[in-house]
Amino acid sequence: MTRVAVTLNVMRNAFRAGLADYRAIFTWKSWLAGWYLRVIAQVAFFALIGERLEDDEKTMYLLVGNSIMIAAVVGVFSLNMTTSERGAGTLPLLVASPSSPVVVFSARGAYLAVDGALSALAALAVAGPMFGVSLPWPDVLAVVPLTGLVAVASYCFGTFLAGLVFRFRSVNNLVVVTTHVSLMAACGVNVPLSFYPEPLEWLSRLLPLTNGLLGIRGVFGGADPTTILGDAALEAAVAVAWMTVALATFNRLAARGRRDGSLEFAS
Amino acid sequence: MPDAVEVEDVTRVFEPRKKKDERVVALDEVSLTIPEGEIHGLLGPNGAGKTTLVKILSTVLLPTSGRARVCGHDVVEETKAVRPLIGIVFGGERGLYWRLTGRQNLEYWGALYRLPPAAVRERTRTLLERVGLADRADQRVEQYSRGMKQRLHLARGLIGDAKVLFLDEPTTGMDPIAGREFRTLIGELKGEGRTILLATHDMVEAETVCDRVTLIDRGKIIATESPRSLGHVISRFQRVDVEGAPEPVLGRIAALEGVSAVTRTEDGGARIEVSEEGATAEVLRRLVDAGVTSVRTSLPSLEEVYVQLIGERGLEV
Ligand SMILES: Nc1ncnc2c1ncn2[C@@H]1O[C@H](COP(=O)(O)OP(=O)(O)O)[C@@H](O)[C@H]1O
Ligand SMILES: [Mg+2]
Repeated sequence: MTRVAVTLNVMRNAFRAGLADYRAIFTWKSWLAGWYLRVIAQVAFFALIGERLEDDEKTMYLLVGNSIMIAAVVGVFSLNMTTSERGAGTLPLLVASPSSPVVVFSARGAYLAVDGALSALAALAVAGPMFGVSLPWPDVLAVVPLTGLVAVASYCFGTFLAGLVFRFRSVNNLVVVTTHVSLMAACGVNVPLSFYPEPLEWLSRLLPLTNGLLGIRGVFGGADPTTILGDAALEAAVAVAWMTVALATFNRLAARGRRDGSLEFAS
Repeated sequence: MPDAVEVEDVTRVFEPRKKKDERVVALDEVSLTIPEGEIHGLLGPNGAGKTTLVKILSTVLLPTSGRARVCGHDVVEETKAVRPLIGIVFGGERGLYWRLTGRQNLEYWGALYRLPPAAVRERTRTLLERVGLADRADQRVEQYSRGMKQRLHLARGLIGDAKVLFLDEPTTGMDPIAGREFRTLIGELKGEGRTILLATHDMVEAETVCDRVTLIDRGKIIATESPRSLGHVISRFQRVDVEGAPEPVLGRIAALEGVSAVTRTEDGGARIEVSEEGATAEVLRRLVDAGVTSVRTSLPSLEEVYVQLIGERGLEV
């Protein structure tokens, strides 16, 4: 096999392992009852605020924003992956294997990107009609890849954060929650970017949700396709950038572990 | 052909992470060579530095100074060359994905060891059979008993077809039967030409499966020999069994320099233990002078040497 084929095979197997892991936690029923219901409730909660204001535009804004937010929420859960890896005691084995831990991680948790995109789209598909938001056919199809991009970018961002807080396992959940809240506040989910001063707007565009969400709003608002494509390209660039930073973070982490002996076999 | 494992003056110091911690010299100028195909025991009590050495050889820890090579490749500089050649097994239940089945675990690691998919499936099947997990292969690891998890761990270490295996206390907590099967498996692996470094604090394990044993304590190597001749090398640890020696003679012998103990045996005899080179000759002269003719010298077993050298700490688990 060529190097590329070998690496793809590593990723395929790692993805499969992640999926098996996930399927051990969720069945279809528990996904629907335990997760999807919560998603719908969250999206509906914000959309109801719009209804209360008797502002259709506001309702639409909140509904789309909070639906796509779900993709980011799930993607960021990749923060937990390395914690569980540490719990399993497999890290030294991963480092000592001929495959790069980051390549393995990036594929192992990729089901989160899939889950995130599907959850977000399913939220949109159900909550949209509930609040009388029309999904323009076939333009709405463009929302699918854009949501996928948001999920992937958020996943990359979460993987980067995982490397960053790796040594402080106890704060992991706190970081997950803080990231969720920050993304919701800073990425134009409930409040347009124009609400903030311009420098902040640019910072916001570095975050994994902002550009994709703008593109999706563009689709619903009948924006020019080139504008939408521009947002999509930015979102993809943000994903690649965060994955690159994640790679560097993990390599540094492994190097540091080799130096100070923190890659423990046992405990 | 290079030796499977070469360790040259390896020192590893752990600097304190917190103020109150002390600086630990886990390995102190350790040198060791393991030729290809040898089963080498690394025997020492807890805290001796066994895991530290295994970690350095497995590329997950850097030595503070010194060099180490696996099949001629430096474990610090040439990790890309070393990693495909080695397999790692450590005892206990960790290092496995509990939510995956035994088969999924092995297939996952097989891919990570960059084997083609068909080869992974085939190796997984034969390894599961080899470690006696074939009929539980598709159950999640969380449902496995402790012994089953350890056997899966062993299979995991073998999935990459490693030339050199590092086993760090692989039988910790295994029941005796599993332990015996494990030893059979080690023999098979040797038959396949693999080199094995087996770190253990279990003397019986070291004595029964190893071609050579290195005794290590407090980061220092005390001796490297075959289990049987280890007693010879440390011949200063001789013992003299006597019958019918008069009490005053024994008393004077006990006071000699280099005699560590004189103990009565139930049948009226005595055992004199010597711990310094040359002391045995003096003991024998005294006995002969006193007209004692029933004298027998012998060498201690590996276990006795171990206890002598390392003290009772060696028996702690
Ligand atoms: N990461 C570490 N940080 C600080 N000290 C360590 C670390 N790893 C091992 N040590 C110390 O190094 C010594 C040797 O440990 P180890 O190699 O685990 O011994 P063994 O495996 O023979 O029981 C012990 O004193 C241990 O406390
Ligand atoms: Mg140890």
